[in-house]
Amino acid sequence: MIVEMKNIYKSFGKNQVLKDVSITINGGEICALIGENGAGKSTLMNILGGVLPADSGTIYLDGKPVRFANPAESLRAGIAFIHQELNLINDLPVYENMFLGREIRSRWGRLDLETMEEKTADIFRRMNIELDPRAMVRDLDASYKQIVEICRAIMMDASVIIMDEPTTSLTEPEIRRVFQMMETLRDQGVGIIFISHKLNEVMDICERYMVLRDGELVAEGDVAAVTTDDLARFMVGHDVRTEQLTREVRIGEEVLRVENLNHRTAFRGINFSVRRGEILGFTGLLGDGRSELFQAIFGADEVLSGRVWLDGQEVKIHSTEHALELGIGYLPRNRKENAIIKDMNILENASIVTWPLFAKRGVIDINRQEGLFTEQIDRLGIRLQRITDSINTLSGGNQQKVVLAKWLAARPKVLILDNPTQGVDVGAKEEIYDIILDLAEQGLAIIVLSSEAQEIIRLCDRALVMYQGHIQGEVSGGTMNEHDIMRLATGGVLSAS
Amino acid sequence: MKVMETGEKTGFVGRLRLRWANDSHFGTVLVLLGLIILQTLVLGFDYDSVGQWFSAWGRNWINILRNNAGVGIIALGMTFVIITGGIDLSVGSTLVAIGAASMMMLDIGPKGFLGNLGITGLPAYVLTVIFAMLMGLVLGALTGLLITKGRIAPFVATLGTMKILRSVTQHFMQGYNPRVPREFLQLANLQVGGLMFMPIIYWLAIALILIYVSQRTVWGRQVIAVGSNERAAQLSGVNVNRVKVGAYTLTGVLVGIASIIQVARIGTMDFANAGSGYEMDAIAAAVVGGTSMRGGRGTIFGTVLGMLIIAVMNNLLNLFGVPPFLREAAKGVIVIASVLFQRKESA
Ligand SMILES: Nc1ncnc2c1ncn2[C@@H]1O[C@H](COP(=O)(O)OP(=O)(O)OP(=O)(O)O)[C@@H](O)[C@H]1O
Ligand SMILES: [Mg+2]
Repeated sequence: MIVEMKNIYKSFGKNQVLKDVSITINGGEICALIGENGAGKSTLMNILGGVLPADSGTIYLDGKPVRFANPAESLRAGIAFIHQELNLINDLPVYENMFLGREIRSRWGRLDLETMEEKTADIFRRMNIELDPRAMVRDLDASYKQIVEICRAIMMDASVIIMDEPTTSLTEPEIRRVFQMMETLRDQGVGIIFISHKLNEVMDICERYMVLRDGELVAEGDVAAVTTDDLARFMVGHDVRTEQLTREVRIGEEVLRVENLNHRTAFRGINFSVRRGEILGFTGLLGDGRSELFQAIFGADEVLSGRVWLDGQEVKIHSTEHALELGIGYLPRNRKENAIIKDMNILENASIVTWPLFAKRGVIDINRQEGLFTEQIDRLGIRLQRITDSINTLSGGNQQKVVLAKWLAARPKVLILDNPTQGVDVGAKEEIYDIILDLAEQGLAIIVLSSEAQEIIRLCDRALVMYQGHIQGEVSGGTMNEHDIMRLATGGVLSAS
Repeated sequence: MKVMETGEKTGFVGRLRLRWANDSHFGTVLVLLGLIILQTLVLGFDYDSVGQWFSAWGRNWINILRNNAGVGIIALGMTFVIITGGIDLSVGSTLVAIGAASMMMLDIGPKGFLGNLGITGLPAYVLTVIFAMLMGLVLGALTGLLITKGRIAPFVATLGTMKILRSVTQHFMQGYNPRVPREFLQLANLQVGGLMFMPIIYWLAIALILIYVSQRTVWGRQVIAVGSNERAAQLSGVNVNRVKVGAYTLTGVLVGIASIIQVARIGTMDFANAGSGYEMDAIAAAVVGGTSMRGGRGTIFGTVLGMLIIAVMNNLLNLFGVPPFLREAAKGVIVIASVLFQRKESA
């Protein structure tokens, strides 16, 4: 099937988001849609997926004009959509989520749970994924949820699949498997639109690229003819600085030390310490337990046993509020579930952490909060209309920057950043790296959790690699490399050198 | 190609529609105004002079407001509770329990607690008011702890305390009818210019304070955060349990105040029936005013509007001569209709 979108316009209020965009996606090809945060990628795809109406313009399927009033109509026409943010129902098991809205029914209209479960197990087997179809979605890690979404779209027998940043919470092996699946589908004639801010992924898997900048299609062509630097330049309109900022590494005294920390299920026997001015990395694969570890240290979950020292004093952290008072900050991953408060505006989302810090007699110091955030808007390049707009009006990457802003404003002694650049565009990523390096130089102890080896190598002085809930090994200094990290992450050991 | 500016609505209707979409109170205010106009028409203009008509109209209104002040005050606390994602079914029973205890303190008979201590007059009244608020505070805090530390669902926990408080009160008050000193009744019945509006003033003052609390204070905003996304609030350093306990505690204190108003209005209390149904009326006021039962959404101002809508509606049905039993049905209709109305926001 050939999908054409012609002369699409879309605005939100005064904000003209798409201007005369025309694109074509052919069956049997994987086409990248890239652009800065807020360029209009998700909006364009929401129009194709029947989520939003266009102001003007037409969609053609195989040359016939169509109109989608809602997502169901788009799906019926053969277009499956994996959204940027997770869209599963927490209170249902995996297999029922897989068939949401397309439930299989037996005679008398009863739900045919057995068949649905079987089909789910079948696709997991084909994708080589170990996941119980009967598990409740609520209990799944964000990565597994993303996998469930991808499998669901794949199972729909769609002719076109839209993938809006499907890899942001996956680790290397799952990304490989998703890519294999995409290739299989492509060879069967399915057209795939792939949105990602990781340009090397685009180079890996896509044949064609389309670049949106400020709502206009500014470049398209064959991936084979360009480099990642070219793509980055198309996106921002000028050359992107890629050279690394070096910082003067001045590592001071120990700030946080953890001894023999154990959790009921997620991790065990954890020992590490981090010093002032140091950037310590934590990486690993799916199910390594690093997020659970730091959410527990931050006081959000209970630990079974173990001891924690802060500035040489043993502390028992009993709540996140307590952790914050002690000077520990934790930016969670998976922003939709763990960070975004959808009923509050942008400013409130960006200042919730610092309300109690700057309040006078329990009253929020609005002017100060506004001042702090205004600085961050410039620094992080957050694209917004008014700071009192709902957080839902921001694009995914810009929401991530708001979440980052609230923790930067808090200035803790120890700042834990869990997947901090999720969904952030190339330019902003560099800016965030600079900020992190700068904070370390000012004497903060920083812990970066990431599944991107590149990010770890780029930022960290040393990194601990976790495997199935324990620390498998350490890599450090200029000799850090992807190979060693991957080896430890899969349970191997490094040969003594 | 010409592009339509969808966001730029012009003309009266366009601007109206924009307000409708962006201001959650706009529709509620419109409905209230409509009802008030209708009510005014029904009251009629069958009077000798404009002055007389106005005074009749005003008296009707003062009656409406005064009769709803107690529930109106409770509804303000209920709003915070519902925004956190909870519910408090025990407000009616708490009201009776506090009322009974306060009356025992004030009793001018031989069993009167303060009287036996030799405390009478103003000091006794002040002590009683403070006691009522403290008792509400303690009961509310206990409910909150039951829900947070005890991890019992709010519906179940407060259903339990609702039953316990009412039955215990009834048991202890069997055959005992405390007599409240006449002077104490001034608290609610003080007349200024021949009109009694003290309860209305209490309601208004508390509403204004709480509007400020919910919009400007750390706790007020944290309530929204907790109700909207509890995990995200927690991971932003919000002490979720304390925020929730705070909401139930505040409700308890407000119930204490409502209880004093009730006692001061008539000097007696029917321990079997007083306050029953208040929980539903308070919830209805919040919901009609735009508070979402799923948490995260709602305003104090909205709840005041909601309470007024329900009150005026009641008054209207009364004026129309609708039989009392059917009036409850009308309340149900308003609640359901308002929720359907508010769907537009989530779309
Ligand atoms: N519901 C909405 N209301 C108002 N403005 C919106 C809404 N949704 C998106 N926008 C605005 O439209 C623009 C494009 O957003 P979009 O989500 O399409 O960006 P994107 O290219 O997907 O970015 P990202 O890489 O960050 O996901 C942004 O400026 C955003 O603020
Ligand atoms: Mg997007």
